[in-house]
Amino acid sequence: MFQLELIVVGIVWGCTYAMMALGLTLVYGLLRILHIAHATVFTLGAYIGILVANLTGNLWLAFPVAMLVAGIVGPLIYRLVYEPILKEPPYVALIASIGVLIAMEDGFRILFGPYGLSFANNPWFTSVYDFGGITLNVVQIWIVLAAVILISAFAVFSSATRSGVAWRATVSDPPIASSFGIDVIRVRYTSFFIASCLAAVAGVLVGLLNNLVEPGMGNIVSYKGLAIIVLGGLGNVVGTLIASIVLGVIESFGTVYLDKILDRDAIAFLFLIVVLLVRPQGLFAAK
Amino acid sequence: MMFRSSTIAALALLASAATASAQDVRIGFHVPQTGFAAADGKSAMHGAELAVEQINAQGGINGRKIALVVYDDQGRADQAQPIANRLLGEGVKVVISGSYSGPTRAAAGIFQNAKIPYISAYAIHPDITRAGDYVFRTSFMGEVQGRAGAKLVGDFIKKKRVTMINLNNDFGQALGAGFKEAAPKFGLDIISEYNYGMSDRQFGSIVASVKRDNPEVIYASGYFFTAGPLVSQLRAGGVTATIVGQEGYDTPNFVEIAKAAAEGVIITTSLDRDSKDVEMRAFIDGYEKKYGIAADMVAATTHTAVRIAADAMRRAGPDDTVKIRDAIASGKVHAATGTIVFNELGEIAKNVQAQIIKGGKFHHYAVIEDPVLLAPPNK
Repeated sequence: MFQLELIVVGIVWGCTYAMMALGLTLVYGLLRILHIAHATVFTLGAYIGILVANLTGNLWLAFPVAMLVAGIVGPLIYRLVYEPILKEPPYVALIASIGVLIAMEDGFRILFGPYGLSFANNPWFTSVYDFGGITLNVVQIWIVLAAVILISAFAVFSSATRSGVAWRATVSDPPIASSFGIDVIRVRYTSFFIASCLAAVAGVLVGLLNNLVEPGMGNIVSYKGLAIIVLGGLGNVVGTLIASIVLGVIESFGTVYLDKILDRDAIAFLFLIVVLLVRPQGLFAAK
Repeated sequence: MMFRSSTIAALALLASAATASAQDVRIGFHVPQTGFAAADGKSAMHGAELAVEQINAQGGINGRKIALVVYDDQGRADQAQPIANRLLGEGVKVVISGSYSGPTRAAAGIFQNAKIPYISAYAIHPDITRAGDYVFRTSFMGEVQGRAGAKLVGDFIKKKRVTMINLNNDFGQALGAGFKEAAPKFGLDIISEYNYGMSDRQFGSIVASVKRDNPEVIYASGYFFTAGPLVSQLRAGGVTATIVGQEGYDTPNFVEIAKAAAEGVIITTSLDRDSKDVEMRAFIDGYEKKYGIAADMVAATTHTAVRIAADAMRRAGPDDTVKIRDAIASGKVHAATGTIVFNELGEIAKNVQAQIIKGGKFHHYAVIEDPVLLAPPNK
């Protein structure tokens, strides 16, 4: 039962990673940019969510507002930071992206203070359900549900809608897609919009789960997100999702059984190193 | 008033034959204003500024006002070194660390070599004061506070079965080592132990483990931003064991995060909120009045550090660093965190306060008095 509970905890963590890493892998697949600043969109979502929740007392309202704001800021980062340097080598965009992350983190600190914010009322955190000895609070349940719903919606979008097909065509060959009349620029904005909405939902949910929203909360997700998309085989959506869950479960066991040697973040990177030694192309790369 | 202060300045001018001027006496201060430790940095800054304001209102140092020379060390060791050198270049005669162990350790050796008295307000690494005889510390060492925690659990809370949850940095490890060392003396049975990292905010797997272990007491180290989420998640997960923390919890921010889950949490610290003592009240009430928020431990011990520097400069004069060092070493200062006397290593020996959270506020729970148990190392 204890082991099962650790697996469930790991799946919950994995779902938060999945919502983040899906966006990272979308952007990487499209532009070959390691979008570290994605983590700042996650933090932004958390801040917007907590401000809305604390002002209105309505947790539900926090999600659409956070998604809306993040859905504007994400594409803006593309327009203002990445688009002017798309012709440069990839590391230029990476450096710019790290710059955005650091600047935004201190921006949050200046705007909202260094102590972080906590939810005035977090009923989801305290309402607990018992599933045969395994207790989960409503935040944890929503994390899993949100990941399943949003990622399924994305799967439907990319396989069954015209925009989704356009998106996939652009990923596999931008010039050809463009010559078939697909608006490549629009596809990019759409990708940043979708990625940023997912990050915002993850941000609000992680804020609720931690019971704390703080300026640096994106830091860990930023580099762990990179580890996950590498594990998943860069740009591979299904691989990324599996890698997220696997990493969450490994961390859940690791924080209890390996805690005297390694902390949670170190476990993630040890796993990354081991996988890359055995399979340099990642767990699920095509070749 | 104008006349009076200018008279004092004139007298000071006469008294000091060398470079006498009415200029401020400057005290070096490095503190994390940005980066991961910025929250504690802000409290430290508040504590130091309040001390400066109060000291100046009481006539400063022999009529001269004191002023802080502030540098942001971002909580990083690699920033502390250039900052230490810059402070030396500015000619300050005493420096206070309002920062964590990393930068404080890095700077301590530099100030020791330059023979500039250096006071660590709340960094707890044991090697800091071992840098030499110019380095002092106004907070408890981690081991000392850990031993106090064991006595608190065994003698006051009177429970035996303990699960330890340690933060894996120097602070958490030192607390854990002290707790474990003293545990047998108080008949404690440590049934399990877990470590977590500084950036962890999600403790699902540890909560599941604690539920399985079913202890009577949880001894958990951390700062408000880790302990707040940890305590709320333990309580939300249905764990009812008494939770014992330390001075890292000692801020209203902890209660702000953990809310109802914070009720009944007991901590070891150096600040007694219910004290009637004049110095402590001047700090606690002055802080609340100036900043509109309740004081915390970091602010209190930084306030104390500035008081000690000012007291030594008052007695030894503000210019001779050898005399200032001797005055700090031999001084006995009654400050916000109690009566401060340093041993030969530059560590303090005093009672540990136990506080309990009731109605969202810290209140007196017990005073842990045991000079032998709580003696800091002296070499």
